[in-house]
Amino acid sequence: MRRALATLAVTAVAVVLLARYETHPPPKPPLPARPAQAPPRPEPGVQTGTGPLLATPFSSIQVRAELTRGRLTGVQTLSLTGVDAHTQEINARAEPILVEEALAAGSADVDVVSGATYTSESWRDSLRAAIRDARRG
Amino acid sequence: MVERVGHAMGMPIRIAVPDGIAGAALDDAFAWLRFVDATFSTYDPGSEISRLNRGELPRGAAHPVVREVLDRCAALRTATGGAFDAGAPLPGAIDPSGLVKGWAVERAAGRLEAGGARRFLIDAGGDVVLRGGGWRVGIRHPRRRDRLAAVLALDDGAVATSGAYERGPHIVDPATGRPAAGALSVTVVGPELGTADGYATAAFAMGARGPAWTARLADHAAMTILPGDRVLATPGFVGLCAGPSIAGSLCGGRTAGRSLSRRSAR
Repeated sequence: MRRALATLAVTAVAVVLLARYETHPPPKPPLPARPAQAPPRPEPGVQTGTGPLLATPFSSIQVRAELTRGRLTGVQTLSLTGVDAHTQEINARAEPILVEEALAAGSADVDVVSGATYTSESWRDSLRAAIRDARRG
Repeated sequence: MVERVGHAMGMPIRIAVPDGIAGAALDDAFAWLRFVDATFSTYDPGSEISRLNRGELPRGAAHPVVREVLDRCAALRTATGGAFDAGAPLPGAIDPSGLVKGWAVERAAGRLEAGGARRFLIDAGGDVVLRGGGWRVGIRHPRRRDRLAAVLALDDGAVATSGAYERGPHIVDPATGRPAAGALSVTVVGPELGTADGYATAAFAMGARGPAWTARLADHAAMTILPGDRVLATPGFVGLCAGPSIAGSLCGGRTAGRSLSRRSAR
């Protein structure tokens, strides 16, 4: 059962990968499309690229980078975790809401402190590969 | 309170179990982390992954966990017509290290649960996995090592922070090759450590564009600390703070925990 579910999950991600695998340049529609039905056109100067799949037995992830005029402007992550396949899509049209505050410095009784280490190198490598791919695109 | 610190994957790892746990369960969790280290390290030429990628280790002789990785990669490669490994350094080579830390720590949490632990935390070099509720998680101040920039009240999930303050500017913006500019640190809270770690790293590499990007992530909350003593956070992050605001979280405030849905653990 577990294996069957895993197979389903793999299939689901594969479909998503295929759906997202764009051709360059995008094919022209055979007839002039009405504006409401026109596929979204990539903005000029935008390139996308995909990094290698990073997999562990129970989760896998793939990074897709978007460059605008050579600058990193977006990262999309396809994620498959356990038997529950899902994609973590970034909705580029949603208006992001952020709360701004002044940086505070204080002390408090806590159980644990989260801080940066340099253990995320492989993530960075994966992003680099996606960017190289975008530049080749 | 039972607490133990070990070393695996190049960092100290602390497991804390307030209500206590059998020593054998802790032994098991650390043994698992050391096994992952020895098996999946792409830096160690003697690891199974390195030997497999050089063609020295027959697939059938590899550890079942490694074979499972290979099977999944092969299935994906076939199903996508090879699309997925565009950009892979070697055809067929696998590099699972991007997720190994998060995955290994989440699995260690599963082993502790199997050993009877209900409430515990694992601190893997500043990236944290929490179970069982009622935790207070401090976020390190980027410029003052002995201070906190926020306190979160969390029940379950993972917290990952990416920044440039530890050991110098270690994160390079992959697009420019220069040290990432525009943020001092990015903290991401989510259901599972591997993804939270990846998001924190990506948002930090995106510099000034990172905060807006984190605001669009599903199921995750984030805080970016910028130069000039500015903090930009998602509303979800503020909602997890142990106080009415990020700054107010440092002064006590409520202690009731929250969690983001943990889809992955089921």
